[in-house]
Amino acid sequence: MHHNPIHIENLSYAYADGTQALSRLNLSIQANERVAIVGANGSGKSTLLQHLNGILLPQTGEIIVGEMPVEPRYLTAIRNFVGLVFQNPDDQIFMPTVWEDVTFGPMNQGLRGHDLMHRSHHAMQAVGLTPEVYADRLASNLSGGEKKRVAIAGVLAMQPQVLVLDEPTAQLDPRCRRQLIRLLENLPLTQIIATHDLDLAVDICSRTVVLSQGKIVYDGSTATLMSDSAFLEQHALEMPLCFSRPYCRLEDHPLEHPHPASLPSFSA
Amino acid sequence: MVLQILLHVGAFSLDQDSQHVTPWHRLVPRTRLVCALLFVFATALTPHGYWITWALYGLGLTLLLLISRVTLSVLLRRVAVELVFLSVVLLGTLFRGGGQVLWQWGSLQITTVGLTILGSVSIKALLCLLMMNFLVLTTSIPALLHALAELRLPQLLVAILASMYRYIAVLVGEFETMQRAATARNLMGKKRWQRLVVGNMIGALFIRTYDRSDRIHQAMLSRGYSGLPPLAEVPRAGVGDGWAIAAMLSLLLGGFLLGWVG
Repeated sequence: MHHNPIHIENLSYAYADGTQALSRLNLSIQANERVAIVGANGSGKSTLLQHLNGILLPQTGEIIVGEMPVEPRYLTAIRNFVGLVFQNPDDQIFMPTVWEDVTFGPMNQGLRGHDLMHRSHHAMQAVGLTPEVYADRLASNLSGGEKKRVAIAGVLAMQPQVLVLDEPTAQLDPRCRRQLIRLLENLPLTQIIATHDLDLAVDICSRTVVLSQGKIVYDGSTATLMSDSAFLEQHALEMPLCFSRPYCRLEDHPLEHPHPASLPSFSA
Repeated sequence: MVLQILLHVGAFSLDQDSQHVTPWHRLVPRTRLVCALLFVFATALTPHGYWITWALYGLGLTLLLLISRVTLSVLLRRVAVELVFLSVVLLGTLFRGGGQVLWQWGSLQITTVGLTILGSVSIKALLCLLMMNFLVLTTSIPALLHALAELRLPQLLVAILASMYRYIAVLVGEFETMQRAATARNLMGKKRWQRLVVGNMIGALFIRTYDRSDRIHQAMLSRGYSGLPPLAEVPRAGVGDGWAIAAMLSLLLGGFLLGWVG
């Protein structure tokens, strides 16, 4: 695994209508880091993610993925290196059956026969889909949670070194969301997760980057960021529930644990 | 085949009889497709008035339907829906000139030739629809698409068909959501207004489709798509497949000769 898989220097990007989506961004991500990218709608999160996979090419500045600059001649290798999971699984699952969709990426890499079978089975099992049950299912008949897993399996099957996810928990029910969080926690990959779900960021990302109007306004520890409610509000974010809730259990109390004997007794 | 997919997209399952274990189901999808196409072309190319030929073809088809244990009620219902559309076209063949005039009203006339053509075209249409619906009912669409690719149909065309099959349900779903949203805000009023709103919905759907296609293309690129979809491995055809095609050919040839002599 590459020790410094993503390095961004002075990246700027403006859309055709003149909207400045990203301006002078600098970011470096180490191997096996799990980084949350948060920010208001339109802050440039999706634009940044699309740069990592070479869907958008840098207008100014430079992105180095592994040891390759994001340029047309390296695109194939870069797309094998960085796996991008889109927000809406219906956009990403474009083949009629689950199996065809999961094998799409590895087949583009030239895999066939036993290797293809092995790789795709492994990817499906990694996201908790039994290949025997799901392989022949039609993509249009899956539930939201299942679609999300298929989308991730399709990317994992390409064995990328970096996994980039755009709003992974959007439109998922609490159980599916929890399963997805566990899945991401157990994947031994560098992960970059753009999300509005700050609880997710607190749960699994030690580092968070805050984007505001195309600029990085914070890059550091997730816990420090989440305790600063004034800063969060300034950038159209909100303290996650787990930080703003009163302490319901004694062991969650931030102060030193009181001795049980010193607790007031409620017995009559 | 496209007609069958489009007309019955709301059906619970297009290929509800694809899981049986019968000699027909043991054939690889490619062979089934070849047999069906041979049958359809032979039926369509038989000259008008070859009644014995079609009787034999019909007999062969009935035998096939019985062997494959297809659900006849579903098959006939689907064929009936499609025949309604075809009957409009068929009606035009009735008023052909030539032969003995049997009935006349102004410039409209029914002649013996017109009747023969109507009968012939109706039987051809019925046989072809039965065969194609039978194929779609017993073979899953993804398997058929693979079979088309194996038969060297341009890969891009197969990919377009596959996307259409994948996204038609998404589009229908989106249209229904818009319709519900309009009803929830009391879309009633005059018919003209309703038509206008539906027109706008279709427009909105078109723009959304355009945006979606862009996102899908990006998703394809990000998984290494390079302009042509990858081709899956071809399943090996067995001895049974060869026999099936030979049997189909001999049925078609036998029917034609019988009609020609008779």
